Order: sequence, then structure tokens, then C-alpha cells
Amino acid sequence: MGYLVDIFLIAVGAALINNFVLYYFVGICPFIGVSRRVDMALGMGGAVTFVISIAAFLSWTLTTLVLMPGAPVTRWVAGFFMSADRAATVDLTILTYIVYIFVIASSVQFVEMYVRKFYPQLYKSFGVFLPLITTNCAILFACLVIMSHVVGVDNPAEAWGLGKSLVLGFFGGVGFTIAIVIMAGIREDLDLCDIPESFKGAAITLIIGGILAMAFMGFTGVDSGLRVALGGTP
Amino acid sequence: MTWVTIGLSVGILLSMAVVLSYVLGWANIKFHVDVDPRVVSIMDALPGANCGGCGYVGCGEYAEAVVLEGEAVSKCVVGGQNCAADVARIMGVEVGEALPYRPVVHCGAHYEDRLGRHEYRGEQRCSAANLVAGVQGCTYGCLGFGDCVRACQFDAIHVVDGLATVDYESCVGCGACAKACPRNIISITPFKSAQVLAVACSNKDRGKNVMTVCKVGCIGCGACARISDLFVLEDNLSTINYDAYTDECTLDVMKACEKCPRKRLVFVGIPTREDLEKSRDLKAPDVVEPDFKTTVDDTEWRG
Repeated sequence: MGYLVDIFLIAVGAALINNFVLYYFVGICPFIGVSRRVDMALGMGGAVTFVISIAAFLSWTLTTLVLMPGAPVTRWVAGFFMSADRAATVDLTILTYIVYIFVIASSVQFVEMYVRKFYPQLYKSFGVFLPLITTNCAILFACLVIMSHVVGVDNPAEAWGLGKSLVLGFFGGVGFTIAIVIMAGIREDLDLCDIPESFKGAAITLIIGGILAMAFMGFTGVDSGLRVALGGTP
Repeated sequence: MTWVTIGLSVGILLSMAVVLSYVLGWANIKFHVDVDPRVVSIMDALPGANCGGCGYVGCGEYAEAVVLEGEAVSKCVVGGQNCAADVARIMGVEVGEALPYRPVVHCGAHYEDRLGRHEYRGEQRCSAANLVAGVQGCTYGCLGFGDCVRACQFDAIHVVDGLATVDYESCVGCGACAKACPRNIISITPFKSAQVLAVACSNKDRGKNVMTVCKVGCIGCGACARISDLFVLEDNLSTINYDAYTDECTLDVMKACEKCPRKRLVFVGIPTREDLEKSRDLKAPDVVEPDFKTTVDDTEWRG
């Protein structure tokens, strides 16, 4: 029960309360760039959700197996050169950024080739967006959030498993989709408005993004309320 | 300890590089999609701006459409004629006739030709003045407040003595002026030669009413239509059938131009060398800009 509540709260937190775009302001580039039409925004949102899920899986796996102190692969290799006690303290977390970028970019490249070969229709609808977001900051941000819940957690029982990481990644992407689709809807209406010359284009989009962010501030504190309502301890 | 950490870092990154490049290289061969080589070379020939001017999402989609669906090779507005020629060479076809389209202002009245003008002190814009009755007698003609001038990004249209005048040497035919004109008197016309014939009036009223508001407007007498089939009288206004228009004018067309009592059939376009030589000695009148200073600020803000 407690695990399910955690999962639910992580999902709601990633999608609404701490929305990647409107709370943390990461992933602004595709948010501004591809929010002109609702259908394109949906395609972009789908692509982001997909890539972020892959990135969450890979980053959790690599962090747990290789990068964190005491990770099994690192401990095994280091065991050949030093005593087992010291091998358990070898810390490779300095490599996280470069490894995440490296692995995510190549895996998305791989998936893109696969989709292009076997699902040409799918490739046509969102394949064009995939290269745009492979090294986007929203993706890296999700990886770093997951890392912060895996490495250096005081109570090892609270460290995130693969399930929680995937939920964060997927619902972070869903939150991005919600934000960009709302934005695209507003911008479609905005085309019919008489906007002052100096505000046209990216300027008015950023202002609207700020107003949307203020609206999403209304979700603040919902998570602790939900936790109480679902029978957990606040 | 330190050396082990460094060694492990190097080892991990190196092994990742080897493994991932092997996997990607394998996937590149295994998942290879056969692309028509013509698509690739057309992609190279296109500007790569992905502007969507051709009606496709980007240059890649247009290149595919040219090769697979037989789309016309001259759709790229950015690349223009040279690009169309390149694409045609790759496809082994002839470039279709791609006429340049340029705006024509269908009004020929300068300030002194317009009757029933009254001082207008409102916002100095055509879109605002068009809502007010009585700014000038003619409800079809150019208002001369220069909405088209502000719309033009190429400095190719100017208000000369109250009449919007296109500078065809700077014009690229984007059509922004035609969209901006609240009276819709600027039409985008195919230019089959450097100069084309145009009817410089858009007044659809009966001849008598035209005469009360304008000294030069078309009165719909039909003299031109009687002489040449090129002209069609619609709603008391002579219009030119540009489908039948050819670049060399026949004798009866020239006769119709001379016959027009209001001299409304005019040639517009880039002046030829002879025109320039002919008008070299003529003294051009000084351009007088209308200068109504009002309290209205000249910004786009309208609340």
C-alpha cells in the first residue's frame, strides 16, 4: 500500500505539482519552438515522454550497477586491484553527466533507426522530433533527479527502485505534454489576436509560460494533502 | 585508490564508446533504409531552410514528394529559379513555367485627382480611416496612409503623393502589402514580362458616380472591351484576363490603351532602358508627404 501511494505521488508530482516545464523551467526550447500547433505539440510531447522513459531506465540501471559507490560491477572490477572493503567505496558519480548524455543520445539514435526501418508511419509522425530532444535538458534533468534519489540517500531502504524511476520519467513526459499542449492551444488562439509588435513571437510565449507557471503554483502542497488523504504519514 | 578510480573511469567510458559505436554501426547496416539517391541530392540542392513555403513540412518532405509523387520542381520560393533548375536537372525534367508574381496597385489617383477629400485627423492608418465615411469620395481607391508600406519588409512600396506605388526592382512578391490593404486594391498578378498591362482603378460604381469622386477613375465605358477580347467589363470596371495575356502586346491592345478616355490602362513593372532614357530629361515633381500630426501615437498598440 505504501509503495503504491509513493508511486501515485511521484506520478502526480512529476506530471502536475513539480511540472518539468512550468515548475523547474527545463525543456523550454521545445516548449517555445514546437508549440505552434496542437497536433505538432502532441507529437513532441509523445516523443519527449518516450525518450524520457528510456533515459530513466538507462540512468537508473547505469547508476545502480556501475556509477554509485558500492555498485556491483565497479566493486567487482576494483576488487582485482584492492581489498574488498576499499573496493566498495570506489565512487564514479563524477561520470554521471557524461555517461547519461552519451548513453541517452546513442540509444535514442538506435531507436530512431529501428522505428524508421520497421514503422515508417510512426517515424513520419514523431520521428522528426526525436533528434531534437535527445540531449535536451529536460531529459538530463529527469536523470539527475533519479540519481539524487539513488545515490547518497541516508536510509538505503528509501532509495528508488527501477519502478519509481520509470514512473518519474514517464509522468515527467506526460507533464511536459500537458504543458506544451495547453501552450499550443493558447498560441493557436493567439494567432488571431492583435499583439503589440514588440511582444510578438517568443516574447509573448514566454510571458504566457510565466502566467501558466503561476497557475500551476496552485498545485503546491497538494502532494502532502494527498498523502494524508491516502492514509500515509505526512 | 585514486588511480583505480581514474582507471575505472577511463575503462568505463572507453568500453561504452566501443560497445555503443559497435551497436550503432551494426544498426546502421541492419536497419538501413534504401533512400532514392535523387532524394538526397535534391535535399542538397534545396536551401535547407525548412520554411514550409512549398506547402510541405520541410525540405526533406518536399524532396520526397518531388521524387515519389512527381511534385512540381519549382515549388521552393526561397531557392527561386536557380534552385528549380538544379532540382529539374536532378529529376531530368524541364522546369515548368514559374511566373514571378508581383503586386499591382489597382488605383491611379494621386491627391489632386481625388475629389470629395476631407481632412482626417484620426489614427493615420488605412485600416482605421477605412472605417470612417467621407475621408475621400472614392470608397474603392487608395487611402494613402501606408499600411502597405509598413507591411513591406523589403522597402518596395511607398506612398507617392497619396498613392501606394510599388518599387518593382526591390519587390520580391511576398504579398504582404496585398494582405495589409483594407480596401483590397493590391492584387498579386503574374508578370509574364518585365512590364505588364494593368487597370489602375478598382471603382465598381457607374461612370457618373465615378466622375464625381475621381478625375481619373475607370467609368466602365467599355471602349477597351470593344477593341480587344483581352479586356472584360465586370461591374462597371474593366479587367484584364491575364490567362490570355501575352508578353508582346498586339496592335488592338495598344489601340485600346490609347482609346481609354481616362487613360486607366497602364503598364506597370520594372522600367525598360528606353523608358529611362525618355524620362531622363523630364523634371520629376518633388514628392510632398502628407504630414498630419495628431495626438495619436504611431505604434501598433490598440488596447
